[in-house]
Amino acid sequence: MVNSGGQLYTIEGVAAGLIMLLTAYLVVGATSVYTPGDAHISDMQLEVLGSDALAMMDTPPNSSVTESPLQQIIETDDGSRFRNLFLNYTNVSGYGPKHDIQFSASYTYEAPDTTITSPPINSSRNLTGGEHAVRVTKWVIVNKKLPPLSADPPENRAVLVEVHLWRD
Amino acid sequence: MARLNDDAQWIILMGFLVSFSLFFLALIINQSTVVGQSTAESVIEFPKNDIRDISHVIKEHAEKNGKIDDRVYHDIINLSIQREGAVVNYTLNTQYYQRLDVFNHSLIHYNNGVTTYSENWTSE
Repeated sequence: MVNSGGQLYTIEGVAAGLIMLLTAYLVVGATSVYTPGDAHISDMQLEVLGSDALAMMDTPPNSSVTESPLQQIIETDDGSRFRNLFLNYTNVSGYGPKHDIQFSASYTYEAPDTTITSPPINSSRNLTGGEHAVRVTKWVIVNKKLPPLSADPPENRAVLVEVHLWRD
Repeated sequence: MARLNDDAQWIILMGFLVSFSLFFLALIINQSTVVGQSTAESVIEFPKNDIRDISHVIKEHAEKNGKIDDRVYHDIINLSIQREGAVVNYTLNTQYYQRLDVFNHSLIHYNNGVTTYSENWTSE
């Protein structure tokens, strides 16, 4: 004769087993993003920081100055001034808490023979290719001889300032 | 036949409640990483700074001269294609309102294959 005792225990056991299986399935599925999911979030923050720094550098400090610091930097090839301003604005130097950010900056122009050249401005460290860098850019209109050894007089040119920045 | 023991039913019920709440918490944790990643990805993918910057440089340039400098125009278009992967074009017209008020009217187009942006701008 079949013993029908303990049916409630059986049902409870089956229900508990199902819940445990489902939970295990969810937990195993949860960490299946193998590239660290928050890498993009810190990339985004770094990009915003770099864009803001470049935007500040492209703003004239007061109304009596017509050219922004960034324009002057490109026109006079003043790489060390770029370095000082950029590291200051990204909180690498200066007062307060510091960031460990490295940068490599260049500007791009088009020569009269339509070749495109990117001379370096300055960098805090060489790019070796292994860094996880983000790229921020800024358009600047400068009055400059491009290429620098050109025989033509300086004229208004649009150049693209490009900065790679990454954390150590 | 053994009599079904119906003691401790409240304890069993509470046990079910706790297991279900754990289940839903696991569901939330399961989704959270995906949500954070896809949000950050779409923010990175949208070229907000590129668009803002190209629009700014064109307007700044227009304010200075009131007409398109051919050299700057070609710089912007060629460098956009080569270095930003974006097709940019713009027109600029200086217009007169009753011979007294001069203003610039500009159409700016930007397309990087994912995002298309057009702006119709009139200076004061």
